[in-house]
Amino acid sequence: MALLEVSGLDAGYGDLQILEDVDLEVDEDEYVAIVGPNGAGKSTVMKSVFGLATYMGGRIAFDGEEIGELRPEAIIHRGLGYVPQDDNVFPSLSVEENLEMGAYILPEVPGDRLREVYDRFPILEARKTQTAGNLSGGQRQMLAMGRALMLDPALLMLDEPSAGLAPDLVEELFDRIDAVNDAGTAILMVEQNASEALRRCDRGYVLVQGRNRYVDTGESLLENEQVRQDFLGG
Amino acid sequence: MCMSAIDTLGRGNTFVRTHPSLSLVFLVGFALGVDLVHGLYTGRIPLENVSRLFWNGLLVGLILGLAGIGLSMTYSILNFANFSHGDLITVGAFSGWSVTYLLAGAGVTEFGTRLLIDANLNVTVLGDPVAVVAGLVLASILTILIALVVDRLVYRPMRDSSGISLLIASIGVALVLRHLVAFVYRAHTRGVTGSERVDILPVLEGTGDVSVNTATLMIVAVALMIGVHLLVQRTKLGTAMRAMADNQDLALITGIPTERVVTWTWILGAGLTGAAGFLIVLERGTLDFNIGWGLLLLIFAAVILGGIGSIYGAIGGGLVIGLTQSLSTIWIPSDFATPAAFSLMILVLLFRPSGLFSGVTTA
Repeated sequence: MALLEVSGLDAGYGDLQILEDVDLEVDEDEYVAIVGPNGAGKSTVMKSVFGLATYMGGRIAFDGEEIGELRPEAIIHRGLGYVPQDDNVFPSLSVEENLEMGAYILPEVPGDRLREVYDRFPILEARKTQTAGNLSGGQRQMLAMGRALMLDPALLMLDEPSAGLAPDLVEELFDRIDAVNDAGTAILMVEQNASEALRRCDRGYVLVQGRNRYVDTGESLLENEQVRQDFLGG
Repeated sequence: MCMSAIDTLGRGNTFVRTHPSLSLVFLVGFALGVDLVHGLYTGRIPLENVSRLFWNGLLVGLILGLAGIGLSMTYSILNFANFSHGDLITVGAFSGWSVTYLLAGAGVTEFGTRLLIDANLNVTVLGDPVAVVAGLVLASILTILIALVVDRLVYRPMRDSSGISLLIASIGVALVLRHLVAFVYRAHTRGVTGSERVDILPVLEGTGDVSVNTATLMIVAVALMIGVHLLVQRTKLGTAMRAMADNQDLALITGIPTERVVTWTWILGAGLTGAAGFLIVLERGTLDFNIGWGLLLLIFAAVILGGIGSIYGAIGGGLVIGLTQSLSTIWIPSDFATPAAFSLMILVLLFRPSGLFSGVTTA
């Protein structure tokens, strides 16, 4: 049984339908990437899982349980973490307060998790008293990931984590995402940097105009002539 | 002339040319300061007057600040300007003083007369301490209950509506609350407290003293403000409130139970507002159903001047408005005191459009 199972999903915003009959699966410990052109509805898939888009039909299940009607805090409780693309830190809170908010649903901040996040992203410990609004783009992205990791999720969803980052930072960020996956957290990532995402992931989905176009291992998609021509610039 | 003096003059010259309006404001402020010192020195302006006006301004400022915190909190968490806030002050004043009168006048006059605050008991802090404390606490609790009921019935079903729709709804709530109070308590102004002038807080030799009621207001207001600061900065709930003020959607997907935080925002904001309503009457000595509505504009001015959304802005803005209103009467007739406070607000906003404390973390 897959950890996350999306089948026949129709979703959008208000009356505007973006996704049509989308299927998607993420297994335990798996690293899955969703790529595709702008406006394909990649981010809408993630927003639908968290109830932030208008649900129009289909099924979303996590760990065998339907989660379409659950409130976000209940979804998080079941082991699903989400890092949105923009505005993904609380700018007026300190770095440590941001991380503490990641564990809000627990009665107390788990010290061991905080330690693990600081070990994974040492820059966050060095800046823990600074307000998050003063961090650089790369540091914000690490903070947002760190906050989502505070509850040790079984699956972490990342929406375009490399957007707006300098090339050298992108490489570093992808290495850290690999490390999170190696430590046993499944990853579902929407990414504009399609070649890099497909090179690193176990499996990839190519989404076009709100529909599944290709599904295969990352490696096979990279070698697929049609995919290369249409989406990876030849 | 030495070089540093020439440099200073040069920089001053540049500042005047680049900021002519701000220079004029500084010049007027400087002229008033010089006139005040000169007036005090020559005896034209009695020190006792200045001291009295300063304390009055400080009192009004503390009340505006205390009441403004709730307005600022609901603005930052719920994203709307709550026009029923003034009438929550009225609710706090009437409900709290009803409780105080019920306790203070037990066995002296009939229940109904005491409940409607018509007994003319001249309550004092030293004479009826338990009744006053119980009134203050119940003013907060009853205002919280009313605010939560209003939120459940009106604002929660409209949570996703625009700020303008909520603002208009809040004007409706204001009218309903005010006229309910007028219906229950009737529309006349009543004298409520007695005066006790005790020299418990000598300010400066020969400059008068502060009454027990005034001292109580100051101590309670400052204590409540410190309490809010600690709650917002040091507790998990306070951090969640600041997180929600930053980004509501992110708070939701982080797992913060946003509706619960909204409920706590009402509890905290309305509690302080009810307490402010009770304390205003303690200082003024009279009570009528327009008490909160009359203050609403000044509270908005304080909150906007300080930077709407910031609790520190509400406190700072309240003090600036209160002191300006009071101290301006040294130079202008008291009829123009409120326009002077609003003029200062406009001036500040011209130079700092988002307020004095904009960007300072909030509730």
